[in-house]
Amino acid sequence: MKVAIVTGGAKPDSIGHEVVLRLLKEGMQVVVADLYEEGFPSLRQCTCVRCDVADPASVEEMIGKAMQAFGRIDVLANCVGGSWGITRKDLIASPPLGFRGLTNCSLEDWRTIVAANLDSVFYCTRAAAPHLKKQGGAIVNVASVAARKGIPPGSEGSSGPYAVAKAGVMGLTRQLALELGPFGVRVNCVAPGVIASGRLKRVMALTGKERGPEGPFSTIPMQRVGTVDECAALIVALCTDDTSYMTGVTVDVNGAAYAA
Amino acid sequence: MPLEGLKGRKALVTGAASGIGASIVERLKREGVHVFATDIHPVADSLVADLTNSEEVEKLSAKVGTPDFLINVAGGPVAPTRAQTLPALPSKSLLLEDVDEREWSGVIAANLTTAFLVCREFAPRMKARRFGRIVNFASIAARRGSDRVGVHYAAAKGGIIGLTKTLALELGPHNITVNAIAPGFIKTPRIEAAEWGNASPGFIEGLPLKRAGKPDDIAGVVAMLCSEAGGYVSGATIDVNGGWYFGP
Repeated sequence: MKVAIVTGGAKPDSIGHEVVLRLLKEGMQVVVADLYEEGFPSLRQCTCVRCDVADPASVEEMIGKAMQAFGRIDVLANCVGGSWGITRKDLIASPPLGFRGLTNCSLEDWRTIVAANLDSVFYCTRAAAPHLKKQGGAIVNVASVAARKGIPPGSEGSSGPYAVAKAGVMGLTRQLALELGPFGVRVNCVAPGVIASGRLKRVMALTGKERGPEGPFSTIPMQRVGTVDECAALIVALCTDDTSYMTGVTVDVNGAAYAA
Repeated sequence: MPLEGLKGRKALVTGAASGIGASIVERLKREGVHVFATDIHPVADSLVADLTNSEEVEKLSAKVGTPDFLINVAGGPVAPTRAQTLPALPSKSLLLEDVDEREWSGVIAANLTTAFLVCREFAPRMKARRFGRIVNFASIAARRGSDRVGVHYAAAKGGIIGLTKTLALELGPHNITVNAIAPGFIKTPRIEAAEWGNASPGFIEGLPLKRAGKPDDIAGVVAMLCSEAGGYVSGATIDVNGGWYFGP
């Protein structure tokens, strides 16, 4: 049986959580790595591991537990991310008010956001890669449309460091595709636009209904936000043989809001 | 798990007689999609049409009705004609000075005009239905350029990317997604028959995935884009090339 690790899979109404449910339906064993332990009881079919993906020791321990439990890793979906709600103390908080651009964010903002969004993917991939290389497999990272076009000043709920870290995730995806391709490990990425996750709902509660971090919804050509289901289905497709000749690719999923 | 959102839908696949198109037809049928196949090259169960001719596109649409999925595969580095419906590929690299105006126009028409005419014919009906998925075919020749197939093919495929992005903006409000796939080195029977179909071992070894692509590798991505997984993907050009080149 194939074994998948999903980081950031425990919070309900998140992309990661929906990825977990879909990988279970694909018949995989799923290890959920998350700080949000409150979500663990509802994921009884999974092996849930408390993990701070911004801490390399915590990541090593999590991968060790997965290997101990199942002896192999076939899929790694790096779904942890965000400008807020990424440390244990603000996991279920509302977004901080005010725009945090590169020129006005605190050094702590920069370090925390880059650690959760970019360092985390590096740590998880490095720890999982030796096991993935044994039989081949797939890694899927989650970037953002913010990496393509930046976050406009004045936006609530996202940040400049986030846009930069997610661009780093795209570069990391390409680099790892070169390094792991020869071992039959494909590495791809999705770059979501505005997705109707729990996190968006909390931003909307703050800003009024029709606006996400990247601007008003009316500017999206498809005239709607994406669903967690659509985004998760795409991530899962990138884990399966349907995409067997794709590697190093970032698939934009943004309702035609930005065509790279 | 079968892909969500495919069963019972209707698709039109152009360029369906061979290679990538034929593989897409098979794949969509396996998913329970009702598939109309068309090509200038006659094969069993397919509608023969020259899609560079708007009258023939109209006749085709009378037979097909309104497809949910429109997969524009028709094209290739050599333009087909009524006399030669599945022309062989040249064995050597095609240089700028070797391309005459007739070949230029022919290849632009076969790869770009076909997609334009077919989209123009079917998109209004998709709009009326408020549903559609359009998948066009670009090429790595448009992403990295090509030292093989000639400027006309690269230019036509680059045109496909512009057409795709523009239609994504125009048709998005009508719940129609428009994307392009840019295949890399895919070993179709026609490419295999050409001399350069036997890519050097050095080239293949240099690809991160260390193999040539198969038509099925492309069909899987088409199925993905037509399924729930493609519901919010629009305006994208998706490279399927084994890591050869990371566009755009």
